[in-house]
Amino acid sequence: MADEIDRLVEETMTALRSVDTPEELETVRRGALGRRGTLAGLMAKLPRMPADKRAAFGARLNGARAAIEEALNGRAAELSARVAVSRVEAERVDVTLPGLRAPVGRRHILRRTLDEVERIFMGLGFEVVEGPEVETEEFNFERLNMPADHPARDTQDTFYLNDDLLLRTQSTAVDTRVMLERRPPMRIVTSGRCYRRDTVDATHMPVFHQVDGFMVGERITFADLKGVLATFAREMFGPQTRTRFQPSYFPFTEPSAELAVTFEGRWLELGGCGMFHPRVLEMGGIDPERYTAFAFGLGVDRPAMVRYGIPDIRLFWENDLRLLGQF
Amino acid sequence: MKTPLSWLRGYVDIPETPDVLAELLPMLGLGVESVDGAGDDAVFDFEIASNRPDLLSLIGLAREMAAWRRRDVRLPEDRLDEHDPAASTLTSVQITDAALCARYVAHVISGVTVGPSPAWLTARLEAAGVRPINNIVDATNYVMLEWGQPQHAFDLDTLTEHRIVVRPARAGEQLVTLDGVTRDLDAQTLVIADARRAVALAGIMGGAATEIGPGTRRVLLEAASFAPASVRRTSRRLGLRTEASARFERGLDPESAARAARRCAQLIAELAGGRVHRGGVDAYPRPVSRPTITLRLPRLRRVLGMTVPVGDAEAILTRLGVELHREGDLLRATPPIGRRDLEREEDLIEEVVRHYGYERIPETLPVEALHQGRRASRLDTEASARDALIRAGLTEAFTISLVSPRLLERLGLDEGDPWRDPVPLRNPLTSDHTHLRPCLLPGLLEAVRVNVSHRREAVHFFDIGRVFARRRGGSGGVDERHALALALRGRWITGDWRHDGGDRDVTFFHLRGVLETLFAELRTGPLVIRPARRAWLHPSRSGDVVFRDEVIGAAGELHPDVAARFDLPGRTVVAEMTLTGVLEHAVTQPRFSGFPRFPAVRRDVAVVAAEALPHADVESAIREIAGTLLESVELFDVYAGPPLAQGQRNLAYTLIFRAHDRTLAGEEVDGVIRKIHEALPERLPVTIRL
Repeated sequence: MADEIDRLVEETMTALRSVDTPEELETVRRGALGRRGTLAGLMAKLPRMPADKRAAFGARLNGARAAIEEALNGRAAELSARVAVSRVEAERVDVTLPGLRAPVGRRHILRRTLDEVERIFMGLGFEVVEGPEVETEEFNFERLNMPADHPARDTQDTFYLNDDLLLRTQSTAVDTRVMLERRPPMRIVTSGRCYRRDTVDATHMPVFHQVDGFMVGERITFADLKGVLATFAREMFGPQTRTRFQPSYFPFTEPSAELAVTFEGRWLELGGCGMFHPRVLEMGGIDPERYTAFAFGLGVDRPAMVRYGIPDIRLFWENDLRLLGQF
Repeated sequence: MKTPLSWLRGYVDIPETPDVLAELLPMLGLGVESVDGAGDDAVFDFEIASNRPDLLSLIGLAREMAAWRRRDVRLPEDRLDEHDPAASTLTSVQITDAALCARYVAHVISGVTVGPSPAWLTARLEAAGVRPINNIVDATNYVMLEWGQPQHAFDLDTLTEHRIVVRPARAGEQLVTLDGVTRDLDAQTLVIADARRAVALAGIMGGAATEIGPGTRRVLLEAASFAPASVRRTSRRLGLRTEASARFERGLDPESAARAARRCAQLIAELAGGRVHRGGVDAYPRPVSRPTITLRLPRLRRVLGMTVPVGDAEAILTRLGVELHREGDLLRATPPIGRRDLEREEDLIEEVVRHYGYERIPETLPVEALHQGRRASRLDTEASARDALIRAGLTEAFTISLVSPRLLERLGLDEGDPWRDPVPLRNPLTSDHTHLRPCLLPGLLEAVRVNVSHRREAVHFFDIGRVFARRRGGSGGVDERHALALALRGRWITGDWRHDGGDRDVTFFHLRGVLETLFAELRTGPLVIRPARRAWLHPSRSGDVVFRDEVIGAAGELHPDVAARFDLPGRTVVAEMTLTGVLEHAVTQPRFSGFPRFPAVRRDVAVVAAEALPHADVESAIREIAGTLLESVELFDVYAGPPLAQGQRNLAYTLIFRAHDRTLAGEEVDGVIRKIHEALPERLPVTIRL
């Protein structure tokens, strides 16, 4: 009898070693531990055993059952681990295939430039406002000290809609509107489209952008103008940037200057600036004895061309994604 | 202004080399366009600001150099010999309108011999870019270059009655100018006439009939002051710009005329012999006085933000020819003849700082209360909208605000569409930029076309910009609005190699999704698109965009004909709408609304309906029937095909129910669902799928 028990355990262990599927495992389990299995047959012999050997035999049977169950469970765990591995194996992907890319939106390069300029001036305490592109003679010229037949109007060849309405030639027109609406102190910057009757070529478009700003206060000086624009230039073009202010003429500022900055070893013309002419302040309802004001108007498109290495101004308006995608 | 350096050195010492000058003079505001030649032969071409006619002269330039380096100017000597009889017995001058001609000085020189000028003079003229003619004409040009005052010499004996009348031309009057062109004159044209006819265009060019010739014996020399606006208008109208008109347009000082005329008469006598008749004739109806301007030294300091030593300020102004006397902190200044641009204190401040040096002004930051910069709220919202679209995967395009009817026609717009009535420019420059754009789409489609022509198939653009329309009511006004346009085509996902990826090109629903994202990001309330037709959109794949019960635009697939006119093969989906109202209602400062406190209950409802029945009708009916417990409805499946009949489709919705004050019981929600099952087929031609 004892040999039969040892044989059962041994045979079951041997069978388990060649089991490869859950189904085969079940067959082995049923053969050993099932209701009509080997162990059950041995158990059936127990009542007919001599009473003195019955307890020892029973204990051996229980030991055999425990050993077989443990072996079965162990094998079952091995099998399921192997199944999991093969299932995961079957899910293999080729990680060298290209990725799926959702579209990435971008700002236009000129927007990027305008945003940057506005951000710097906001940092200097300026408020960003806007004004109409369709302007009147009054706001675009007269209130900027350019009465009819002023020779300076020649340099700003203007698109007219009718006798009075025109497309603004400079965003300084916005300054004249703001001055009428507010009281000093003022610290204003505006950006947007301006229009001039220029023939299209590599550096001219009839539509272009300007950033215009001005500051009115009781103690605003030409030195402040230089300080504000030099600060702007260093933020925009890097801390080593130098600025150059050269005398110039604009009907609406006195004294007037042209601003240029160093960029990659050359002078880059940025725009014009100066102290608002007292007559401009008077027309804006501001007492020029009490208040002084500086104003500046900066180009956007041409400096952006130089800064980003874009050879032709028309490229800004073609919206070629091969260009826009690089910024 | 072409300026031979050697000539300029006759009036002021200039030891600097041409290279040094070219570098330093711009710091005075004297732009150097070019320098030809080297050393003593150098000829500068200066760029002169429109308010400085005096710098179109060697003496004006010499004064700048003098003030700059605190040197002295040497003016030419006046040594005019005058002879009897007096000029006034030989000629007369009449000005009909002093507003157009403030002054007319005439000298008479008789007994001249017309011939070539000496070499030193022709050399100077040629270097300055003026062609030598004869000694008389050359003298007038020489003095114009020297003093900035244009002059003209007439053959006195060709003038009818030997007299001058300055008057507007008569209608129909003609004049053959020195260039041989017959000019039609009008009443806006100021002319110099004799007793009978026009003989010169005032301030622009003389006439052929009275010009100096080999036989001329008596010269009438004119030095006048004409209204800049009048000269400018005539010069533009005739397309005739001369050395003289360039100077008059900038506004010459009437006071300059007499001095220059004396200098010129003297030069003619020296070059051509002859005698200058005594006195000349000076018609000067209302002599202008030279202003006295007070420069307050504290004001100088206040405007500049620095102190210029008073000795420097005085030295600069004096060298510029300003007569000064100082009273404590005040400088009383009388500008020189020829500097009409010096009118008020600020003008003197500029002169001082220009010559003192802009580079010597310090850089300071304004002393002002600390102030937070910000953007006007509309600009801020517009930036949020752009940002939302960029995050949704679109690229911003910049398109020109000027269009042509030809471009707009490609949209195939209906009769009466307001886009067919754009605001025209009165003076367009080119045929493709003749009107203000009424909409963004044509420009944007052009941008798409450019990319498609480079074989770029996937294009996802948006443009937010201004559009223009005539103001209603015929006032001639123009309305500016902010508009948004979208144009999408090609693949949405880049690099999709999946075999079963389905239809990968963007569809109307990609476009709609972008707009839904935009509206959600701006928190303006839901996007509504109602089926509708537009001439430029695919008739059965298009709709109106409705915002707060107002149609603000349209969205859909581009009409195949329109696509063909823009060279766009395949499908392109587009939208255009007014953004003004949407931006006004945007919420850019949201607040946290908290998490729901009670659990939700979820139920699905599926209906079968004709394909023509819009989903939006089903959804809104469900919302109405379900009432306040319904939190959201989401369409999760649309199916057409067997076993459904042809033309039918199945719409499956997930409904989320939630109460804000308690946990909903399943039975309560089941009641609502039963109500939907009963009421929905009564309201709409649908059957419920259970």
